[in-house]
Amino acid sequence: MNLKVENASFSYRKGKTVIKGLNFGASSGDLIAILGPNGAGKTTLLRCIMGFLKWSSGKSTLDGEDIRSIPGRRFWSRVAYVPQARGVFAAYPAEEMILLGRTNRMGIFSVPKAEDLDRVHELMEKMHISRLAGRKCTEMSGGELQMILIARALAAEPELLILDEPESNLDFRNQLIVLDTMSELAANGICCIFNTHYPAHALMRASKALLFCRGGEYLFGETGHVVTEANIEKAFGVKAVIGEVETPGNIYKSIIPLKVTEPGAGMVGHSDGAGRVIAVISLISSNFAAGGRINALLHEYRRYVVGRMGMPYRECGVFILNVTLDGPENEIRSLSHKLGILPGVHGKVTFAEPEGGKAVDEP
Amino acid sequence: MTKARKENSTGVLSPLWETVFLLLPILTALAALCIGRIGIAPADMFRSLWAHLAKGELLPDQMETVLWKIRFPRILLALLVGAGLSTAGCAFQSLFSNPLATPDTLGVASGASFGAALGLLIGLNLIGVQLISLFFGVIAVLLTWISGAGRGRGLNSMVLAGIMVGSLFSALVSLIKFTADTETKLPSITYWLMGSLDSAGYGTLLLGAPWILAGILVLYLLRWRLNVLPLSEEEAKASGTNIRALRIVSVLCATAITASCVSMCGQVGWVGLLVPHICRMKFGNNHLSLLPASIFTGAAFLVIVDTVARSASAAEIPISILTAIIGAPFFIILMRRSGGWQM
Repeated sequence: MNLKVENASFSYRKGKTVIKGLNFGASSGDLIAILGPNGAGKTTLLRCIMGFLKWSSGKSTLDGEDIRSIPGRRFWSRVAYVPQARGVFAAYPAEEMILLGRTNRMGIFSVPKAEDLDRVHELMEKMHISRLAGRKCTEMSGGELQMILIARALAAEPELLILDEPESNLDFRNQLIVLDTMSELAANGICCIFNTHYPAHALMRASKALLFCRGGEYLFGETGHVVTEANIEKAFGVKAVIGEVETPGNIYKSIIPLKVTEPGAGMVGHSDGAGRVIAVISLISSNFAAGGRINALLHEYRRYVVGRMGMPYRECGVFILNVTLDGPENEIRSLSHKLGILPGVHGKVTFAEPEGGKAVDEP
Repeated sequence: MTKARKENSTGVLSPLWETVFLLLPILTALAALCIGRIGIAPADMFRSLWAHLAKGELLPDQMETVLWKIRFPRILLALLVGAGLSTAGCAFQSLFSNPLATPDTLGVASGASFGAALGLLIGLNLIGVQLISLFFGVIAVLLTWISGAGRGRGLNSMVLAGIMVGSLFSALVSLIKFTADTETKLPSITYWLMGSLDSAGYGTLLLGAPWILAGILVLYLLRWRLNVLPLSEEEAKASGTNIRALRIVSVLCATAITASCVSMCGQVGWVGLLVPHICRMKFGNNHLSLLPASIFTGAAFLVIVDTVARSASAAEIPISILTAIIGAPFFIILMRRSGGWQM
């Protein structure tokens, strides 16, 4: 699956340009965060991608085919949409709500078959929401409803999942559940694109980020290159620091907003650390299913890989991988970020300058 | 509540309920054949039925006429109108996500009433009245559609336009009543407006029934799709449904049904509101079970009400009065006992 947005602009009838000359792409396995201040066009972008709104110019394509020329039923059997879990929802019980997600796999006069219901039950089991089956969507908490809506989207067996602020209005725990679910999906090859108000969530989970400024300017790229202190200040008008928290298993990036400043223009994809380093990425993974994804990533960065050693340690249900790399620091950081966001993977990276310099620990 | 959920956890009627719903209209219809100012013993009724279906001895002529020329078409009409109005009401409530929506929401019943009043005023025969009524019912919905629909305008503007068009036609009906001859025309117009199934004959049915049956059939076939209607427009699109087409088809079906019901028997109020809600309380909002439940409950309900209307007193009671008198308290009791419902 390849989604591309090509030179797309959008303005409302009154002439206010919301999105200007946007280019970005997403493919299977990507987890893409869309960030930006209120009114910068995040939701507009999602609506345009899905064809609810028409680009003023430019287009979005799915595997090379213009989305507007794809018939609704075919498009929606590949793409699924998770709306915000607020506002009015129909009073269907959870099970029926999820079953509605199977609709685009049915003919116009068809009714759900037993196998559709089986799929729904499997899905609910897998997402640990079976207990909600008979509960009405109007009588659920925000977190529960969000999971039901994600399940409904997944019931359609999509290749691309588009989520509108899936973790807004949720408590701590439910946010984490939703983020975990998205990571899991991306690791299984489903492309997820989500809007968020939390740059930290992008740093924690997203492989790529799209950052909007008010007025249509945008920046798209590797999360670590896009979500930087300088760009955050320009896009949001907030001075913030990005800090790192080390746990025994991982190093996590977090962002703390400090004070309000003036938003500005001229965001740049972070290119610091283009200098050559030697690095060792060490991973312990309890997720054997992530092996394919890890191999794909190492293949993508093969020109920097000097050597690798891997071994399963079956008694503990993990496998261990050490990769030695030689290349630009920022590339290696990107790789280690992408490995670190895989579910069930713990990893850190050790850097050294080629001629003996000091060594630092990085995620 | 939980018990009701278990019964239809798949959203489909259980075999028990299927049997109940199939038998209910048949049994009420058979009972209604026997009841009336001329009482007919069930045994006699079955004997006559058997005589017509296979062979046997007919009843005396008078009883035969009462059974098959007067009561039977009337019961058929009640079955059709009850099923039709309930279906249309059910579809409109989901379409507009509004529990107060009735088959008349888009003004079709007011339009059809105006047509009928006009027909009675200029002295058309029954079939003529039916045709002109059907015609104005459709005109009213077209007017509503033209004034209410449009890009970026929500469904609420359709509902508002429907109320406006409805009140416009109600005013026109009042105008006709005002100008009508108080000795001859006014009583018949007033009586007709209150709704009565006594015009039922096979000719009326032949003209009206196909519309109702077609409307019910299409909505029934679309029953799973109708579940998409209460979702937001974007969610509906994301389910791969052509939501615009679905809305248009629902409105067309409901209009065909309602206009033809009104054209045959005047305004039968309440059925389209009460029956779907009673079914929602019991079966939830899933149209897989809700729609068949509404169809059969509506059919049986109107047969019962009409039987009371024609046999409770020496003069026939207009049916709208009875649907409200029987329906409203029943509805309130059910609502209080079941703890209400949500759309």
